[in-house]
Amino acid sequence: MTVHLKIDGRLLDTVRQDLHRPHPFAYERVGFFTAGVADLGDRLLLLVRDYTPVADADYEIDRKVGAKIGSAAMRKAVQSAYRPAATLLHVHTHGGQGKPGFSGVDLDSAKSFVPGFFETTPRMPHGLLVLSNDAAHGLLWLASDRPPLTIDEFQRIDAPLQREWGNHDLA
Amino acid sequence: MTWLDRQSFLGAKSDERLDAATVGLVGLGGGNSHVAQQLAHLGIGGFVLLDDDVITLTNLNRLVGGTLDDVLAKRPKVEIAARVIGAVNPKARIIMRQAKWQEVGDLLKGCDVIVGGVDHIGSKDELEAFCRRFMIPYIDMGMDVTALPDTWESLVSGQVVLSTPGEPCLRCLQLVTEERLKVEAQRYGAAGSRPQVVWPNGVLASTAVGLVVQLITPWMRDPPRSAYFAYDANLGTVTPSDRLSRRRGKPCPHYRAKAVGDPMFDVRRYLERMDKPAILETPLDPTSARASLVGRFLTWVRSILSHH
Repeated sequence: MTVHLKIDGRLLDTVRQDLHRPHPFAYERVGFFTAGVADLGDRLLLLVRDYTPVADADYEIDRKVGAKIGSAAMRKAVQSAYRPAATLLHVHTHGGQGKPGFSGVDLDSAKSFVPGFFETTPRMPHGLLVLSNDAAHGLLWLASDRPPLTIDEFQRIDAPLQREWGNHDLA
Repeated sequence: MTWLDRQSFLGAKSDERLDAATVGLVGLGGGNSHVAQQLAHLGIGGFVLLDDDVITLTNLNRLVGGTLDDVLAKRPKVEIAARVIGAVNPKARIIMRQAKWQEVGDLLKGCDVIVGGVDHIGSKDELEAFCRRFMIPYIDMGMDVTALPDTWESLVSGQVVLSTPGEPCLRCLQLVTEERLKVEAQRYGAAGSRPQVVWPNGVLASTAVGLVVQLITPWMRDPPRSAYFAYDANLGTVTPSDRLSRRRGKPCPHYRAKAVGDPMFDVRRYLERMDKPAILETPLDPTSARASLVGRFLTWVRSILSHH
């Protein structure tokens, strides 16, 4: 079983621009995608619906990490995925080119917030994305007590369609 | 050298892109029989072919690949399309069903592009709604033959529309209207069939295939996300319709970006299904087999007695 993600090209461009905006004190920005899901038998398809950036006021000062967001940001995120029920994907960018990877801090913090997503919307999978300027990497949890799956393929719905988020590259 | 060398101008990795793509063809009676053939020649690797019908004598005037033998054999249209594709590209991945697309819609969810060759306005509307829900670009083809008043002539026209998420839909472009749906519903079941002929289908299909190529290969640097080509067979013209230019830049009010995905999806049910061990075929229980034989014997005896 594989996991694929589709996103509208214009939305992706908007998200990249948003995540690159400087913040008064945080080193990087964070946002949340909501997504619908379809079961294709041999694969799960994530269909991105919307993007909600974390408000400037909802970041907390912490010099040890690139960005720390408070409980208000998490509350707003889970509310956005409550009705209609949606997958929630935490997203940030590392910039640069090529396939990005998660840092240890990214993975540790996911362990704390992903179970919270399941408490509010248990019928949907939830996850974590990191972008570069032309690619993406993601993890998806189908349940809070199971190890995550890697998102195998990203498709940008645009003209032309792109299997990765770079310039005409297939995944 | 490969069989696709002459189309290398379609751009970097275009062969791989075309091979990796899966195109859904819904309705294979007229226009999509041309589309299937052309996409096979282009090197499209994956096909989902859906049509519930078999070929009949009156399809022979336009169904590319269909033969008189197929008519005599009452061959399903999907089998004819699969044969045409396979003859060009034996490595093509083909899924086909002789069924109404609504009954086997799951097969279409994984397509990269869907081309609709459906006649009815209601079917176009349903198919586009399906495509929007799963973020699949939809290309609609339609052809009309209208008798011109006070002459013996007919106007042969048609259109090809590319409908992608966030762009104007068939309702925005006035191809699907409540009035047309109502008229169609009133005519439902009425005898007679729509006039169809091969060459306008070919023009419309070639236009649709051009849009598929724009979507999949980097042939054009910045191809449009939506398109509406109007065809006038009497004048011999295919022109961009001003219906689209009037809608450009305006959001589609009919399909919300948030209404994507399967609304019934539940990951808990999904995991239950995934966790279930595969069902192994159970060996035949000799007792029940004997019981079954006795039952069949008694039924046979009763049927003999009832005949006497």
